[in-house]
Amino acid sequence: VEEPPELLAPKPLLSGVVPLEPFLATLTKHGITEVKVEDTADGHILHLQAEDTLIQLEEDGTHIVCDNNEPLRIVLRDLVLRFLQKL
Amino acid sequence: LIMKDNSLRLVSPEQALKELDLTEHQLRFTCRVQLQDPHGDTDTLSRVYTHLKSILKGYTIQHLPDSTVMVESIVIKVSSSSEDPNAKVLLLSWSYQDEDLGSFLSTLLRKGLPHGLC
Repeated sequence: VEEPPELLAPKPLLSGVVPLEPFLATLTKHGITEVKVEDTADGHILHLQAEDTLIQLEEDGTHIVCDNNEPLRIVLRDLVLRFLQKL
Repeated sequence: LIMKDNSLRLVSPEQALKELDLTEHQLRFTCRVQLQDPHGDTDTLSRVYTHLKSILKGYTIQHLPDSTVMVESIVIKVSSSSEDPNAKVLLLSWSYQDEDLGSFLSTLLRKGLPHGLC
């Protein structure tokens, strides 16, 4: 069994908004092209159909829901982080 | 460290956001982990709790009455499919602030639970 991470200082707080169109363009650039976008009261839900993953984009939050596909989750995490400021 | 009104001050990140009129953006992850475990959902969750207790020393791990295990602020729940009660799905949810631990737990639980666990 791998060693659990040491108790570290938490990651920085995030600020900003993930804009829909530039984010979709970034996904396309990374080969994620089958994206169904649904508008909601507070933002959008993106269904990445080939990856069976949902990304909920709202003004004050982003929620990534995926199967345990760690490499994909890390790619999506880093793409989201490109649009946010760290504090 | 923020610069405001020609002075530099060291404040908490939460306070800095407030003073700069920025709103926090919550980045969350929910991962589904498939697990074969021939027990009821409640027993599976207890076994997850026991397993994590034995591995994660120095962390706050709680088994809550609402059928949730929490490791620090990471939430773990169990559900099973109606077709195959042995096929369990663990749902792990964490925020970006707990990224290292969340990532570790999803990788760990994907390997399954050890045999002989009560």
